[in-house]
Amino acid sequence: MAGDAAGVVSVDGSREPVWERSISDVNEQILVNLRSPHPSFYVAFVIAVLCLLTGVGFVAAHTIYGLGLWNFAPPSMWAVDITNFVFWVGIGHAGTLISAILFLFRAKWRNSVNRSAEAMTIFAVICAAIFPLIHMGRMWLGAYWALPLPNTNNMWINFRSPLVWDVFAISTYFTVSLLFWYMGLVPDLASIRDRTKGFKRLVYGFMSFGWRGTAKQWHHYEAGYGFLAALATPLVLSVHSIVSWDFAMSIQPGWHTTIFPPYFVAGAILSGCAMVYTLLVPVRYMFRLEQFILKEHLEACIKLTLLTSTIVFYAYAIEFFVAWYSGAPYEWAIFEKRAIGPYAFYFWTMVFCNCIFPLAFWSKSIRNNIPVTFVICVLINVGMWFERYNIIISSLAEDFLPGSWGHYEPGLWEMVITVGSFGLFFTFFLIFCKFFPIVSLSEIKLIMPKPLRGGGKHHH
Amino acid sequence: MATSSTDAKNAAGPGSGVFAVFKYLDDTCNVIEKIRDRQDFRGHEVFTPTSYHEIEHASNFGSSPVRFFTLIGGLTGVTLGFALALFMDYDWPIIVGGKQAGVLSIPAYVVIGFELTILLGAIATIAGMLIMGRIPNPKVPVVDPRTTDDRFAVFVPGATLDGPQAKLLKDHGAEEIRITRI
Repeated sequence: MAGDAAGVVSVDGSREPVWERSISDVNEQILVNLRSPHPSFYVAFVIAVLCLLTGVGFVAAHTIYGLGLWNFAPPSMWAVDITNFVFWVGIGHAGTLISAILFLFRAKWRNSVNRSAEAMTIFAVICAAIFPLIHMGRMWLGAYWALPLPNTNNMWINFRSPLVWDVFAISTYFTVSLLFWYMGLVPDLASIRDRTKGFKRLVYGFMSFGWRGTAKQWHHYEAGYGFLAALATPLVLSVHSIVSWDFAMSIQPGWHTTIFPPYFVAGAILSGCAMVYTLLVPVRYMFRLEQFILKEHLEACIKLTLLTSTIVFYAYAIEFFVAWYSGAPYEWAIFEKRAIGPYAFYFWTMVFCNCIFPLAFWSKSIRNNIPVTFVICVLINVGMWFERYNIIISSLAEDFLPGSWGHYEPGLWEMVITVGSFGLFFTFFLIFCKFFPIVSLSEIKLIMPKPLRGGGKHHH
Repeated sequence: MATSSTDAKNAAGPGSGVFAVFKYLDDTCNVIEKIRDRQDFRGHEVFTPTSYHEIEHASNFGSSPVRFFTLIGGLTGVTLGFALALFMDYDWPIIVGGKQAGVLSIPAYVVIGFELTILLGAIATIAGMLIMGRIPNPKVPVVDPRTTDDRFAVFVPGATLDGPQAKLLKDHGAEEIRITRI
């Protein structure tokens, strides 16, 4: 096949990446890193655990002293707690999009990143689920009051409330993501089982359910995997829509708008793809996976980030336009305040980080420049956090009645729990990296050159 | 073509036969196409490192029954979701915005019904994948660890090294043939 330095052009005209490894290398070279990662892994792990411990400290203080630790006061009854909740749920969505939606679209680049992306989803949803519990104050009661259980008040939960929809949506999302991730891991755990001895072999053998990799097992596995992907796809779109309805189903100006579901979903994918990139670049370096997570795969992730960034940019613009065009005074007042009012810093940071900086991704050389792209992706996540903060606080702080207006700024404990949630996320993710294959062993073999007697020609 | 009962018999109990290892995908597919309907290869198993669709195509398995698990799980989910919300709303109506309990509140219940559809559909699909794949299976010996690495393998129960099955496998590019039990 004719080719050039960037890759081989295959029969359908698409550019195939150049693989310097064959499928025989996959198991050895990915699994060897389970034993001996780069020392920076340990540094990262210690930092993550320290951050996690600050979060644990927060939860302890919060349990003793209550919600008064936070800075919030009427009218801002939701603040950094719900900001973090929506932020983490959003990050989880890119993992499911990459795993499930791109599976249905048969996007090849997904196979090298999907295992980490799915793991990211699960840990992000765990981080997210903590926040509604914390924000209830007495989380030991709140944990079961949200469920449709019989109680001494003879009352049931209010199924018309988006907060109850959230309970069902997030639980479903977590369960389905966990099942999807785990079933995907089963063949890889069997690979590890076949390459270890003693206690480790017992543990991995147990976890892999005795998977043998017969053609019949793969047949049922692929069928089921396809259905799980098909089920998870509407979940990506619906779960964050339901989260957006936490705001849109109210009557607050700036919240009560029908654009929220697509706007939030696009924003979720944006922050999630940026987080996937932020995770994969160091992991690729620490675990020496440059020959498996190729530059082309990272670039594809960035293209997705660019796409969702343009959608989010459009959503910001159209929100503004419709707020003005509608003639609704409270709606327009909120938008004016976002741009030039007390929270203008958060607003403009959000606009620059989410919309302006990602415009650099239109340039191929920047997309392929890993350090620059990494910085922009970190900034995107900062911007997305600020976006949720902006939406929540600006609409609450100064809404209909001037007599109720107040001002909120985050305090120390808010920063502590935010840092703590990042600590939890990275701790879990690094533990995952140490004990599980970061790249899906069986799926990456599917996109690598096939072992053909004819000589490794790539055909579909 | 092997039936599911012979599959269960091979997976559970001991039985010796010929085990041939192949390096190349196209060789393995040729072999599968040749042996899948032959009587002397009844009960054969093919081992692959990943789910190549060429193997799937050559094996001609037909549709997997996992789809029925998904369907039943999904239908149960949507029924349960609406039933839960409707029952609880009738039992203690929480009237919000003048919306009476029951049919008039259906739009809110769609969310619950939808989420439970996905949840029970996914759980049922997993159950289907496990049941149809006959896992968890604690008794399985690992025949050859290379089949989860980069080699393909075909196991023919009841065959011997000097039989016609071994000859066919050797002629189609088997890298290695031996007697083993699975």
